[in-house]
Amino acid sequence: MIDELIFNVENITLRFGGVVSLNNVSLEMRRGEILAVIGPNGAGKTSLFNSLTGVYQPQEGRITLSAKSGRSVSVIGMKAHRVSSLGVARTFQASRIFGALTTFENVKIGAESHRGIGIAGAMVRGPRTRHGERESDELAVDLLDFVGLRSKANLLASSLSYGDRRRLEIARALATRPQVLLLDEPAAGTNPSEKLELTELIRKVRDERGVSILLIEHDMKLVMALAERLYVLNFGSVIAEGTPEEIRANEAVIEAYLGAASTAGDS
Amino acid sequence: MPRWLKHKALGRFFSLALAMAVVELVTGPPGSNETPTAGFSGSFGEKVSFFGLFPVPRIVQFLAFTVIIYFLISLWRSYGDRLRDGVRSLTERPRAVANKGSVRWGVAAALVVIGALLPRFVTDPFWQTAMVEQIAVYVLLALGLNVVVGFAGLLDLGFVAFYAVGAYATAWVTGALPLPPLFGVHLNPFFAIPIAIFLAMLAGVLLGTPTLRLRGDYLAIVTLGFGEIIFLFVDNLNGITGGSAGSGQVPHFSVDVGPLKYVWGLAPVPYYYLTLAFVILFVVAFSLLEHSRVGRSWTAIREDEVAAESLGINPLKYKVMAFSIGAASAGFAGVVTAAQTNFVNPSVFTIYFSINILVLVIFGGMGSIAGAVVGAVVIQTVSMYLIHTPPAGYQPQDLYIYLGALLIIMMIFRPSGLVPSKRRQREIGLAESGQGHMDEVLTGDVP
Repeated sequence: MIDELIFNVENITLRFGGVVSLNNVSLEMRRGEILAVIGPNGAGKTSLFNSLTGVYQPQEGRITLSAKSGRSVSVIGMKAHRVSSLGVARTFQASRIFGALTTFENVKIGAESHRGIGIAGAMVRGPRTRHGERESDELAVDLLDFVGLRSKANLLASSLSYGDRRRLEIARALATRPQVLLLDEPAAGTNPSEKLELTELIRKVRDERGVSILLIEHDMKLVMALAERLYVLNFGSVIAEGTPEEIRANEAVIEAYLGAASTAGDS
Repeated sequence: MPRWLKHKALGRFFSLALAMAVVELVTGPPGSNETPTAGFSGSFGEKVSFFGLFPVPRIVQFLAFTVIIYFLISLWRSYGDRLRDGVRSLTERPRAVANKGSVRWGVAAALVVIGALLPRFVTDPFWQTAMVEQIAVYVLLALGLNVVVGFAGLLDLGFVAFYAVGAYATAWVTGALPLPPLFGVHLNPFFAIPIAIFLAMLAGVLLGTPTLRLRGDYLAIVTLGFGEIIFLFVDNLNGITGGSAGSGQVPHFSVDVGPLKYVWGLAPVPYYYLTLAFVILFVVAFSLLEHSRVGRSWTAIREDEVAAESLGINPLKYKVMAFSIGAASAGFAGVVTAAQTNFVNPSVFTIYFSINILVLVIFGGMGSIAGAVVGAVVIQTVSMYLIHTPPAGYQPQDLYIYLGALLIIMMIFRPSGLVPSKRRQREIGLAESGQGHMDEVLTGDVP
């Protein structure tokens, strides 16, 4: 099932009062691919992300997600935590780590969030609770290893550098055992060498963990190096779709986006 | 503004003098309709004993205090940092020892022993009663509110409602209310414990499910309203709750199982042990909860609800859980109060009561179990002391002035409380350095 769709977005429109944030947007995301959404500021990229993860509810259109179990579900109208439990993980544009917790605890929260709650279990700590806890610990350590933060496991998350916070967010998102990872400008605010490492890491997430990736990014070099397919948004509408080569040659894109942002985007 | 006031040291002195003048007015004698200025002239002119040495007019005392406090502040400004560093380096080793798990358990065990032996040393009947009614019960309440405010970060200003539910549930099942108990069976208050806890938790879930979708100020207002609604209900439903007179027939606890026969009477000490047992139970249960998955999820929600939800945590579920757990301990406190004093009366269940409990939690340190206990013990002991042996010029209604001042000082100099929780302390540190994100709505492409 190479071409199976994870996300099938059909003609969604999202409005805030009179402002149309997404206008008749359609998008298909295949399992196992690295897909990027680019576009100038205010084009609606993050609105699209928020619609896919249940934070915003588009007024029109359909978003179908093929869940971990294989059945298709409609995302619109679903709460964000429900979408997460169906295997959709995300990071945020401004990193939203839990600063007062340690790096390890940050990841652990992700790892254990999908178990049933059980106040009694939490207080009595029976064998099942302890077993679950051990599993979460192992997964958290494994993921910290994976993103290269193992040595910083016991530091406060707020003491991490910007690049490390990005890695931590990725590890925390992966801890929810997702099938697809949505990255909202992962390279924002990182320096060139961190950017390079991040590119490697994102590719590794797909290749070694089998997690499909949907990426919003301003940095053209990173997008072109990483993405296999791109969608270009402008003023809430999709204006182009294709491989990096096709996008580079697309007249409409050059006019709307690359012409204005290629100099600014590389900063 | 005159030029000389711009001189910083002078400006400081005059603001201090102004504050002291207000204190002097507040603590001085009141005026009356016939002599409206008596409050003012009396506040400054009345003779008082100067440190027990010789009588002076209050204005002299006021000036002396101002100068002394100004001197202390100046001293602190010049040497405070050095002093603080010195104390910190001196206490570094003891603090490292105190943080060890085994030592903490030892301290906890020692405290339990002291708590158990306390009635042997405190023989004054006033204090024995106060230990149950005003301290142990308040510890329970502070522990419960700490789960709501400290762990889950929900500002609940109507906490007294759950206490009222517990007390009235006890009166109901023991047959003390005009409303007959279920099946006409008058139960022993012991059986009221699970029923009251269940009803309080139920009230928590019923109130929490619709309202906990709100954040911050909105939640505070709704809980405030809920507290008032419960008060008005019990005050006015004469046929069910006995109205403003309440009920004075709640029986004492008693045990009657085979050879074991015991009735808790009017003596406060047996109640003290009963409450102490429950305090220990709640402390252990809540600290296990804090360090479990549930506790971590609360922290995550408190710090960043959007991020927590993206990880699959259902914020509403966890908040309702915190609400009902807090309600459970308030409900239990209600049972103890009702059974020990034999009566329930709506005049207790006011907004002041909720605020009082909140002060205990904030003073002790939000999110810290030890803080809730210490805060409740310290503040309640002090206010009981003021009632038992009031100093000259102190009137009972002044209490809240002093509590308010204490809270303000606390918020300025030690916002994380007397015994701060580590997580909370870090959060406050982060927020002060401008790193913490409060509730900024989803960043990104603003449409």
